Amino acid sequence: MQNNAIDFKRQVTVKLADIKLQGALSRLQSRFVEGRSAVISEIADLPETRNAAAAIRDRVLNDLEHWLLQFEQQATARGAIVHWAETDEDVNRIVAGIARQHGVRTAAKSKSMVSEECELNDALEQAGVEVMETDLGEYILQLAHEAPSHIVAPVVHKNKEEVADLFAEKHQLPRKTGIAELCREAREILRPAFLNADMGISGANFLVAETGSALIVTNEGNGRLVTTLPRVHVAITGIEKVVPTLEDVSTLVRLLPRSATGQSITNYVSVLTGTRGDADHDGPEHFHIVLLDNGRSKLLGSDMQEMLRCIRCGACMNHCPVYQNIGGHAYGWVYPGPMGSILTPLLSGLEKSPDLPNASTFCGACAAVCPVKIPLPDLLRKLREQQMERGMKSRQETFMLKAWAWLALRPNLYALATRIAVRVMRLLGGKERLLHRLPGAHGWSDGRDFPAPAGRTFRELYRQGGRK
Amino acid sequence: MRVGFFVTCLVDTMRPGIGFASLKLLEAAGCEVVVPEHQTCCGQPGYNSGDHKSAEAMALKFLAEFETFDYVVLPSGSCAGMIRVHYPDLFKHDPELSARFAALGQRTYELTDFLHRIARLEKVPGTFQGTVTYHDSCSGLRELDVYRQPRALLATMPGVKLQEMVESTTCCGFGGTFSLKYGELSTRMADNKCQHITATGADAIVGGDLGCLLNIEGRLRRTGDHTTRVLHVAEVLSGEEK
Amino acid sequence: MSAREAILGRIRNARNGKDRHEQAAGATEAIAAHLARHPRGPAPAMPGDLPARFRERALKLSSDVLETADRKEVPTLLARYLNERKLPLAGVCWPSLIGLPWSSAGLDMQSRPARDSDLVGVTGAFCAIAETGTLMLLSGAETPATTSLLPETHVAVIDPRRIVATMEDAWDLLRQECRQPPRAVNFVSGPSRTADIEQTVTLGAHGPYRVLLILAPAR
Repeated sequence: MQNNAIDFKRQVTVKLADIKLQGALSRLQSRFVEGRSAVISEIADLPETRNAAAAIRDRVLNDLEHWLLQFEQQATARGAIVHWAETDEDVNRIVAGIARQHGVRTAAKSKSMVSEECELNDALEQAGVEVMETDLGEYILQLAHEAPSHIVAPVVHKNKEEVADLFAEKHQLPRKTGIAELCREAREILRPAFLNADMGISGANFLVAETGSALIVTNEGNGRLVTTLPRVHVAITGIEKVVPTLEDVSTLVRLLPRSATGQSITNYVSVLTGTRGDADHDGPEHFHIVLLDNGRSKLLGSDMQEMLRCIRCGACMNHCPVYQNIGGHAYGWVYPGPMGSILTPLLSGLEKSPDLPNASTFCGACAAVCPVKIPLPDLLRKLREQQMERGMKSRQETFMLKAWAWLALRPNLYALATRIAVRVMRLLGGKERLLHRLPGAHGWSDGRDFPAPAGRTFRELYRQGGRK
Repeated sequence: MRVGFFVTCLVDTMRPGIGFASLKLLEAAGCEVVVPEHQTCCGQPGYNSGDHKSAEAMALKFLAEFETFDYVVLPSGSCAGMIRVHYPDLFKHDPELSARFAALGQRTYELTDFLHRIARLEKVPGTFQGTVTYHDSCSGLRELDVYRQPRALLATMPGVKLQEMVESTTCCGFGGTFSLKYGELSTRMADNKCQHITATGADAIVGGDLGCLLNIEGRLRRTGDHTTRVLHVAEVLSGEEK
Repeated sequence: MSAREAILGRIRNARNGKDRHEQAAGATEAIAAHLARHPRGPAPAMPGDLPARFRERALKLSSDVLETADRKEVPTLLARYLNERKLPLAGVCWPSLIGLPWSSAGLDMQSRPARDSDLVGVTGAFCAIAETGTLMLLSGAETPATTSLLPETHVAVIDPRRIVATMEDAWDLLRQECRQPPRAVNFVSGPSRTADIEQTVTLGAHGPYRVLLILAPAR
């Protein structure tokens, strides 16, 4: 997917002014933040469980080569075919090839963020395969020709009126108003798609190395349908998603839905291994697993490796005060919020996403809820360091930082400079003791006054007071 | 106990009264307080903007000035977090220095954390009368676990009624240079915070970090609220709030 | 060079300088050892009555729960449940369950995999999990996956003695009783649902609208 993160600042302005979006985002707090809080406490020893989850991810990442080989060997032994893709384009080529090989004309797809990286649907349409998104949110977006704005709740930016209008227009049926009616209508429209699809496409939340299985969590049941009914199943996921054992994946499943949607468990957790047996009545005859690198392997062994622990729960964005105010589209690529602000520069280019590492107050709410303990603010800070080292910061910012540091390392000069500055600011503050304009800092003063300083510094007053 | 007091650059320049209020509280707690004369800034602006080098230089300066004290106390959670959590991290490549910073970090406290847990201050000098609401600044809360401490201290003041706002632990949008670079977004976040403050009907919004307080006050005043007082917790506890 | 070799090569190189030789030598053994031990992570303690816990959790997930000491009563319970909801008295079941007295309870039950038009699907369960109120279903010739998926009403008949505490316990049971996992292990936790529109939970997305769990001991 094209990275439009360069447009971040302009998008922020647009999103802050979008009243419908703001209304939609206001639900994040009650549904996701409070929802998580209510069920995460069910985990008796949360700190220990998070440590264990991080350790499970690290075990794999520290020896990804051998764990991937172990997974491949097991999956192959059970009849799955494992494909390796260097780039998003490779994924598209591989999946189009699979479709051709099996004479696929229609595909039903459950949610996959990796396929969003690849814009797989467009590629398949060009290859003559009709693709139907079946996750309700993704289906709505497919109808609306929009990208997801959240990795778990893709259509969080839309309200039900917008969905009702969209369905009425696209389905040519009387406009429904209730959410349940809209869901029923989508179910009825989509059921034939499941039944008739030649190929099912899904992501995989985890790959279990012990058994060669792909694990998928879903709520709607579409994930089960697309992996049960069509004769071909293609699961697409990142190379980092391997987990050693069924026990290890159980620990992660204990955290994932609780962190994501505030559910103790998702409705369906499906562990899919190999193809249908000879006597089976259902299940795919062909099971293909596509493993995508797309920049992930270069993070291994680097100081950004911890990002690969991510299990895509979305808790970081749900709890992020920046995301809560602008939504996901402003981030410009597949992954929004704190995890996206790290992944987008890493996978899609720091030079194309200069704002993302900086658009954070380092409030730390993301790291506090991350189930696999990714130190998200630290990683954002490291990206800022890279920007500094590579000369990607504005001259003005670099100068200000260097000047401040230069001054702060010279206490006497610092004392003099601050004494002058606070006196000037005090005068400018006038009777109200407020500065309404800050030259060179309109970012602040466009929306806020600046409380004028007292006019004398603590250090000078302290010296005059004769205290030691 | 001998306490080195680091006033922080913001308090030094913008609101020195908070520094004197802190001294009064530390002395009330029976500490011998020393204010090293050449202190300036902890280096956080550079550190958080990716300028490691200058942050390292300032950290070394800080070490030289404060290493000899039993404790180091600051009226700011974010600067205390810088020293406790990030200084040792800055010198990971140098085990000896990193250990010295870690040891210094162990003795470094945010003011209310120190007063409540270490000095065990039970009677504060202040006599504030009125309803207050408390904003939990991010670094103090998440890096230093400062939440109960200021509330426990405020609870010792008979005249103070604490009326909690919703989402008191959500960021106010300050974030240092963030507030300048992403002014519009920062202002929106401040605005959300101000609405929560206003909804409590409190006489004063109280917090432990001047950066957040300037941000909140700036937005309150710009939106026409000239009555809600914006106070550092040290000012309330010490009775130096004027 | 194939993509596979290129990716694995990059991963290998990332380990350069990170005591690579030692790691590579010990890697396969370390992996084999971890797989052999498959250690458990921290799991909640689950003292007391597992069926009671299961029932409580299942109800929280919007499943309906009925109980009987006599498995032959299952058809009567189901008929009453369907009648109360004005649902059709016909459906499909797993072959192992066709021996129950369905017709004497007025139910037209057929032993075959479900089709799109079937409205009630009756399954057993490999086991059930008390921690979350979850069913564990294994796919197979005698246990088709579609039965719990296509009909609007999914009914599962569970032997209470097959209720285990956690997912980890369920995996142990699978390891004991099966050589390897079947094509699909499906953990089912209540009726299908979506909250995609306005984060409002709606039951009955693409799978069943309702899940009825009948606890009845097997003979």
